[in-house]
Amino acid sequence: MSENVRHTRGFDLIKPLSITTLLIVMMPLVLLPLASIFIFGTSSGLASFWRALTAPEAIFALQLSLVTSFWATVFNVFFGLFAAYVLSKYNFWGRNALIVTISLPTAIPTAVAGFALLLLWGPYGILGKFLEPQGIHIMFTAAAIILANIFVTFPLAFGVIKPVFDTMNQSLEEASATMGATRWQTFWHVTLPSLRGAILSGALLTFARSVGEFGSTILVSGNLAGRTQTAPLYIFAKFNEGQVEAANAIAIVLALFSFVIFSVLFFARDWLEAE
Amino acid sequence: MKFRFGSIFVLAVSLFSMSCLPSAPSGGGKGARTITVYGFSIMKEAMEKDIYPAFAAKWKAEHNGEEVNFVSSFAGSETVTNQILQGAPADIAILSIERDVDRLIAAGHVPKDWYVTPQKGIVNKTPFVIIVRKGNPKGITDFADLGKDGVKLIHPDPVSSGGAQWSLLAIYGSELKKSEAEGGKKDETRALNTLKAIWKNVIATPGSAREARTQFELGQGDALVTYELEALLMQDANAPVDVVIPKSTIFSEHPVAIVDRNVTADERPLVEAFRNFLWSEEAQKAFVKNHFRAVTNESFNDTNAQFAKIEMPFTVEYFGGWEKAYPDVIEKVFRDQVQNK
Repeated sequence: MSENVRHTRGFDLIKPLSITTLLIVMMPLVLLPLASIFIFGTSSGLASFWRALTAPEAIFALQLSLVTSFWATVFNVFFGLFAAYVLSKYNFWGRNALIVTISLPTAIPTAVAGFALLLLWGPYGILGKFLEPQGIHIMFTAAAIILANIFVTFPLAFGVIKPVFDTMNQSLEEASATMGATRWQTFWHVTLPSLRGAILSGALLTFARSVGEFGSTILVSGNLAGRTQTAPLYIFAKFNEGQVEAANAIAIVLALFSFVIFSVLFFARDWLEAE
Repeated sequence: MKFRFGSIFVLAVSLFSMSCLPSAPSGGGKGARTITVYGFSIMKEAMEKDIYPAFAAKWKAEHNGEEVNFVSSFAGSETVTNQILQGAPADIAILSIERDVDRLIAAGHVPKDWYVTPQKGIVNKTPFVIIVRKGNPKGITDFADLGKDGVKLIHPDPVSSGGAQWSLLAIYGSELKKSEAEGGKKDETRALNTLKAIWKNVIATPGSAREARTQFELGQGDALVTYELEALLMQDANAPVDVVIPKSTIFSEHPVAIVDRNVTADERPLVEAFRNFLWSEEAQKAFVKNHFRAVTNESFNDTNAQFAKIEMPFTVEYFGGWEKAYPDVIEKVFRDQVQNK
């Protein structure tokens, strides 16, 4: 116990004070804005909330968001695992530059990312103009949304998995090698289990970030309702049309979804790491 | 360890079930044709509520029950044009200003002879008016009053919104018209000063006319300069607003163009049929119902009692067409002397 703590009959004032301060600061910045979505969304009754939620375009938007985020996550987790393995195990010229490059997409504004993809793959783009006559349209489709999501969430899984590799105890792997295990057997039975927590965190982080992605998606998808419009785009479109309730209903769904994902992340991590 | 991998396996399977792309809600049956429409912001409601269903019904009746689906995207006119220029798959574009069509022509998306109808490609029109809060607490009677102290104005961004450019032409032109009627000469200084005073009162510049209306509806600003039909739609929804009809204002005229580059030979008849349908009596009357003014027959406009009478109307021809209006007014007057001062 620090000597600076003042006790009044054994009661520590700092603890409730600091907790209260924490909550007070979070109130206007985080808690109240979140609450206002829920309050407004249900203010005109559950019937109209349900109607907004079950509109075919709304359901399509949510499904499209989930599917495109799923595939982007699958790719980025596998790639993150692979990249983390290679970059922490081997030392080669340009290694650090590569690590920095992988982390770059977070620093780039998402609208810039979307625009860059258009300039490359669009029908008049640097590469796109060769694919177009073959009938291969990448932009303005769900594939474009997945590409954009991969770009924007690229470093997330990698950034969570790599530190685990770096701090991993090499002696375990070496012991496994001396016992005659192949590289793959070592990886699967010794290395991978220690990474489970990081892989799950990375996956959930990537997924949650993908679902909420807006800036790049709005550029590369064409924003066609019922075809290439993801949930965040749907919210934006509804807001622009003045249908604030419809926008709110989907906003609530996304907020709840993120809440569930991060709760799972929180509890599963403890469970996975306590082994 | 087996148990844990088992649970991960279950998780993977449940996730995999959402790995297939959802089917489009308006998928239609096999053999349904699709027309992709990109339109400027305020066209959305009229098209989706009346025009699409009317055309689909007509086509179905005339073509052995063939279904037609519409896929559309609406945004500020300039934004829509930029999307098409980047390769968005539009078959047909309905834009707010003819200049956007010129941009598409310049990039080769639309042929030079895009208008071959008597209406010169214009599908409907509407005059520009001022929306204020109910009771008109700031006492706005005409465009010039928007420059008064203490008036907060929402005005869409001229860079992305066609409606914003129409609004600037309305304000500038109305002052020219009034000075011409009063003194026989167009007073450009007076018009410029009015524009400057008004622009000082702008508190927000959203990306499209429709966005501006949403912001106004959510309580921001005291006044909004916009298409008449936006004002009438708000009144229909019993919003607490009043409409101020300026003495002189511009009629915005909205062109429709087929984006040739994206239309294949066998899609052409369908897309052309749809474009021509927009000038049919049925469609023009539907536009009037949605508070757009018809262009084929003025008598249709009489059926809408809410349309206001404009004392001194003018069109973009007053400035010599968009080829002159854009460089002379939007660039030389507004951008150089008002915005970037």
